[in-house]
Amino acid sequence: MQSSSKSNQPTGRRRSLKNRSVLFGLMAVLFLFAVGCSKDGQSTWEAFGPVAQKQLDLFNVILWVMVAVFIMVEGVLVYAIVRYRRRPGDAKPPQIHGNTTLEIVLTIIPTILVLGLGIWSVFTLFELENPPEDGPTPLQVNVTGHQWWFEFEYPDAGNGKKIITANEMRIPVDRPILISLESDDVIHSFWVPKLAGKLDMIPTHINEMWLQASRDKLEEDLPATLFGQCAEFCGLAHALMRFRVTVMEQDDFDSWAAGYGPPPAISDKAKKGKQLFAENCTLCHTIDGPDDPALSASRLTGFLTGGDITPVPAPNLTDLRTRQTLAAGITDLTESNLRAWLHNPEDIKPGNYMSERAVLYQNGSANLTDDEIDSLIGYLLDLR
Amino acid sequence: MAAITGVIPRPTSYAGIWGWMTTVDHKRIAVLYGVTAFILLLIGGLEAGVIRMQLASADNDLVGPGRFNQMFTMHATTMVFMVIMPLSVSFFNFVIPLAIGARDVAFPRLNALSFWIFLFGAILMNVSFLVNQVPDAGWFSYANLTEKPFSVNRGLDFWAIGLLVMGTSSVAGALNFVVTIINLRAPGMSMMRMPVFVWMTLITSILLVLAFPVITVGLIELVMDRNFGTHFFIPTEGGDPVLWQHLFWVFGHPEVYILILPPMGIVSEVLPTFSRKPLFGYPFIVFSGIVIGIMGWAVWSHHMFTVGLGPVANSVFTITTMLIAVPTGVKIFNWIGTLWRGSIEFSTSMMFALGFVALFIVGGLSGISHAVSPSDFQQQDTYYIVAHIHYVLFGGSIFGIFAGIYYWWPKITGKMLNETTGRLHFWLTFIGMNLTFFPMHFLGLNGMPRRIYTYSAEFGWENLNQVASIGYVVLFVGFLAFLFNVWQTRNSRKVGHDPWDAPGVEWSISSPPPPYNFAELPQIEGRDHYWIVKENAEAAGTPITGPEALVDESTIHMPSPSYWPIFTAVGVALIGGGLLSHYALSFVGGAIAMMGIVGWSNEPAAAPSEHH
Repeated sequence: MQSSSKSNQPTGRRRSLKNRSVLFGLMAVLFLFAVGCSKDGQSTWEAFGPVAQKQLDLFNVILWVMVAVFIMVEGVLVYAIVRYRRRPGDAKPPQIHGNTTLEIVLTIIPTILVLGLGIWSVFTLFELENPPEDGPTPLQVNVTGHQWWFEFEYPDAGNGKKIITANEMRIPVDRPILISLESDDVIHSFWVPKLAGKLDMIPTHINEMWLQASRDKLEEDLPATLFGQCAEFCGLAHALMRFRVTVMEQDDFDSWAAGYGPPPAISDKAKKGKQLFAENCTLCHTIDGPDDPALSASRLTGFLTGGDITPVPAPNLTDLRTRQTLAAGITDLTESNLRAWLHNPEDIKPGNYMSERAVLYQNGSANLTDDEIDSLIGYLLDLR
Repeated sequence: MAAITGVIPRPTSYAGIWGWMTTVDHKRIAVLYGVTAFILLLIGGLEAGVIRMQLASADNDLVGPGRFNQMFTMHATTMVFMVIMPLSVSFFNFVIPLAIGARDVAFPRLNALSFWIFLFGAILMNVSFLVNQVPDAGWFSYANLTEKPFSVNRGLDFWAIGLLVMGTSSVAGALNFVVTIINLRAPGMSMMRMPVFVWMTLITSILLVLAFPVITVGLIELVMDRNFGTHFFIPTEGGDPVLWQHLFWVFGHPEVYILILPPMGIVSEVLPTFSRKPLFGYPFIVFSGIVIGIMGWAVWSHHMFTVGLGPVANSVFTITTMLIAVPTGVKIFNWIGTLWRGSIEFSTSMMFALGFVALFIVGGLSGISHAVSPSDFQQQDTYYIVAHIHYVLFGGSIFGIFAGIYYWWPKITGKMLNETTGRLHFWLTFIGMNLTFFPMHFLGLNGMPRRIYTYSAEFGWENLNQVASIGYVVLFVGFLAFLFNVWQTRNSRKVGHDPWDAPGVEWSISSPPPPYNFAELPQIEGRDHYWIVKENAEAAGTPITGPEALVDESTIHMPSPSYWPIFTAVGVALIGGGLLSHYALSFVGGAIAMMGIVGWSNEPAAAPSEHH
């Protein structure tokens, strides 16, 4: 856009030039927005909750203020460039040194403009600090960042039931969710673009935010799945640290919470898988309900101490069979993807600590037969 | 030792490679800085190429995450510390003494030392590629990712120590220019008669002197954490990773102005010359620069809006960041005011300067949108920010620097760069720049985070990324056009001393200038000194047709070349190199540096031939 509007060919008379360049600038901006903006996946152009909506509203205001200022200032610039280009035989132009009145005016106008935007921002900032007090009772979710996955803890998912799960956060629709953020290792950032702007997850700091998914804004039927992603560079697999937020009816959420528990291991295959899991996986993964805090702490110590084979914090797999994705939201949870993952996680997610630290993977791919892998899948996904 | 070092005679010859290694002439040091920075620009540009090729398609596996992280880390580190800063310093070196009517900088040997330390620091940082221990935590290197056990190889040590070494150079250089500008102005050049480029250099140098100690503290703490068991930034040991962010950005935001103020100064020289009009609102441009220099210290936490500092802190930094847009806007209005009713000549230099203004407006406006903290929560750490910084640092700094190169090239070399190739260079760069970086605004708003080595096709980011990657190719061809232009000048004709009919005092002497610059210190007549002189001569019927006459060099006492700057710089570099390899080497380096300093202070004031 700039390239064409900056051309310095002689063009018509002053007024028509001015009108044409303003019109052209406006059309170029609209064209760019038409091709550039999308509402796909993680786009911030679409808000499904009050927090994201307020942020988007504010952005839309600034955006059009910026576009207006852009067209005005670039317009004057281009006008000056074209109008005052040197022509053969030009006399020396008037030697003007400045104009104090103009300077003062052109200082005051932008000051008012930016202060206005600033004050509006400050009000929004405080307004978004807490959910409205007259709304439904909020649900508390504690989120912990790990290299490179998200852990979600519901201290009370209903009837006092505590739930720990990973990489998929289920939330009831139209209910404020209070989120406490922390990290186990390095700084991560929690971001669900459709619901709220991001907030960092910092080791030993607890950051708090809230969000809410609104039924009247969601364009699809529930349950709806939204994308989330780590937004602070956190090392090798940063790009592969994603998650999902599933917005559900309160009833569906309640039945999910009530059904949260270890896979039942009914078939023979699943029983064999359960035994294999107990022998090979439980150093890092918990599968029988929320993690024991003492165990989590010792895993973290093992991770921070380092070494070739140490336990590391790893996703809780109790409800794996109810999830849609695998490996921190980077691929769909299907039998074949899970098989590929168990065979060699490094192929799917370079840098993951499972390949690096688990005894099973010290020779590259899994030290398991195809049959054993099938059994594990049968157990984890509760295939009958 | 003093006795030994004191008797080594000063080198006398300017010839050959030794002449370059021992030179203390600000004009030659400028060339050394410029050439080094351009080689590094090529390296940093190729690193950007790897990034753009990897991101050109979804789920690409051209390079893995490890290599990609190294590329974006080294791309930004190189461009900020080893390209834009030294290119500005190259202009400081060449232009400042000439523009204030001085014969050299205040401390010529310190100036040489600054260059050699910078060169060795840059080499040290890039040696990390040869030993495959490349920094990979970003140019901001947020703790505690930079701590063990998260970064176990030596990459972060190369990064921290390389920056510490180069920081020494920056502070020494900056002090030199503060002293030079305050003390060595020719008679008649009051502060409010200084060219705006000199003003911006002064402000930048003061910012450098104050900002680098902050990052130095952070870097030393990081090196200590990684190598000597301290835990400044290790949360589990009682340290605080957020402390690093404060230290980094208290340095980092003034650093942004360190990168942009000098090109703003360059543009403020170029626009009046090619509009044949004095700069509009000179005092407002100067004072807005000073205000930026002061307010630049009060906005650092806008880089940290998502850290969770709370609504009070975020409000304060929202307002201060909003307000710093005002002096920046004042500059833009005044540049347009300079063009207004002027007689604009479209030289390549002028086109880059106009490109600077046009693109900086875009970067400035997106900057205002970041200041709106609630909506910035969505844009922080997305490609929207990448678009912004490239509009201010590429569209701004690099365009300003190219405007300066085309402007002062005839003064530096006595020859013109080719204007036709120059136009090709400009248009390729201008179009390539917008193709590469404009789509990034949309990518960010469409939710693409920064620093990801791959993305899934389902997000719809592929097309815009392809456009950006094509833009990179256009930019690269534009850069080749510039190199071709430089190569072309070997055949171009000599030009006069004042090809642009420029207002600066540097245009009154021959091109290239003699080693002593001015045979007689000029008496500065006013803000646009040389315009006034030419006009008065015209009025008196004796128009100026040539440069100031050359005189016999031996009648003018100039500082002699010296071995000690490069010798001392080797010692400083070895101190850093030792921390990366074997500590014993650091002690050797320390001894060499000490010896260099002693030899330096005992050095005879002049070469033997000059003893009278």
